[in-house]
Amino acid sequence: MAKEVMISGCAASAQAAKAAKVEVICSYPIRPYTAVMMELAKLVANGELDAEFIHGEGEHAQLSVVYGASACGARTFTGSSGVGVTYAYEVYSPIAGARLPVQMMIADRTLDPPGDFGSEHTDAFCVRDMGWIMGWAEEPQEAFDNHLINYRVGEDPRIYLPQFVCQDGYFVSHIPGKVVLPDQSQVDEFLPPLKMDHRLDPKKPISHGPQIRPDQGDALELARAMAMNEVPKVAKEAIDDFARIFGRKYSPFVEEYMLDDADLAIFIQGAHAATARAAIQKLRKQGVKIGMAKLRFVRPWPTEAVAEALSKVKAVAVVETQTSYGGATRGGGLMFEVCTSLYDVPKRPLVTSFMAGLGGEVVKVEDFEYMAKHLTKAIQDGKVCKKVHWIGFEPD
Amino acid sequence: MYLIPEHKQVPFAGCTTAPVSEQRMMITGNWRTYRPVINREECNLCLSCVAYCPDACWQLNEAGDEVVWNAEYCKGCLICVNECTHGALSKAHELDFEDGVVRLDKPF
Repeated sequence: MAKEVMISGCAASAQAAKAAKVEVICSYPIRPYTAVMMELAKLVANGELDAEFIHGEGEHAQLSVVYGASACGARTFTGSSGVGVTYAYEVYSPIAGARLPVQMMIADRTLDPPGDFGSEHTDAFCVRDMGWIMGWAEEPQEAFDNHLINYRVGEDPRIYLPQFVCQDGYFVSHIPGKVVLPDQSQVDEFLPPLKMDHRLDPKKPISHGPQIRPDQGDALELARAMAMNEVPKVAKEAIDDFARIFGRKYSPFVEEYMLDDADLAIFIQGAHAATARAAIQKLRKQGVKIGMAKLRFVRPWPTEAVAEALSKVKAVAVVETQTSYGGATRGGGLMFEVCTSLYDVPKRPLVTSFMAGLGGEVVKVEDFEYMAKHLTKAIQDGKVCKKVHWIGFEPD
Repeated sequence: MYLIPEHKQVPFAGCTTAPVSEQRMMITGNWRTYRPVINREECNLCLSCVAYCPDACWQLNEAGDEVVWNAEYCKGCLICVNECTHGALSKAHELDFEDGVVRLDKPF
């Protein structure tokens, strides 16, 4: 029987890995993701999960271990946070290029220096263009579900791509939330064992990752891009099937909240969406027609879904919980793709961005009220006063 | 839809059938600017070249009386020239040969 528990995001990720019957796990400690491996180590030691648990000597080794294990056809799980994510940078592209459906959990942590344990999405944003599927969860239940959905999509023979399953450090990873742990039979129905044709097999010897000629390189890059292009279709099928089996229905790519009659929209991903909901409910009571578009996948970027959701409103606030120093807006990295998605829309909304939640700072209800105030003014003026606002540092 | 020309076609994820001896999909002889040249009269079949070549481009022939050079895969690192115990190997520029890789329109 499915059972309801109160667990943290890290514990939910560990339970998801157990439910997915992962075969090879590679760990290396760094806060805040470490709690996943502490939980998994217990599950393996207690005999509740039959998996190889390997201690890597660093994040580069972690990713190398799961690279090799996945090449042999094993379902693999690893994870990291902050500078741990960036330390393994070299191995991300080879795994995606080899088309191996490795899964990595990221619990966000601010990059150094100085040492800061707080959650910020920059660590994962640094590695978003490698050919890995990537998306954020708002709370532990969504984290649990995203792990299963991502395995299903990444292991589909039409895709074969690795996945970053992200959650905010602390806000999700360490705050318990209600999680329904499903029956194993439900998970088995949703997620069949991995059977990969291109796995290393002594009975059918093949070479992985041989040198190719430079004039063949672009063709392989195109193949990787085409696989990524197939993800939306396969993800939609998987998420529909997920709803049928588990009874929880997600908007595949962009969750719309109170958007249909809205003039203003908050565009956001991850944990702070929960606070945004509360702020929107409060603002609605005051008569402000505001809604939210919550991004569930950053890669592949859901261009059409973003355009559809945001073209319903007159002004958009993009909440940037990461940095892109010197970028087009001199703020964060979500704006580029939001604006690209909206470029061909007949009636483009006004768009501005808010740097919020950097270094693990809390994004409060008042901060969303501040955003709503600026959006309302932008509509009155017919233009935004600037492309980026730094929450908490502006005199008005 | 995209059309991939025949000469650019690569197997899925770059995975190839495991080679038994030579990987035909990756011929490396055309990387070479120098090649080793053997003076058979000086060679005493010590097989240092066979032992030291990182790409197994020196092999003893079936009769066992001669070492044979593989022009298609030798990258021209010249380790063999350095390791030869009898001074039987020397280096020569590819330009000195009619079939030198720098003269080829198509590399092998």
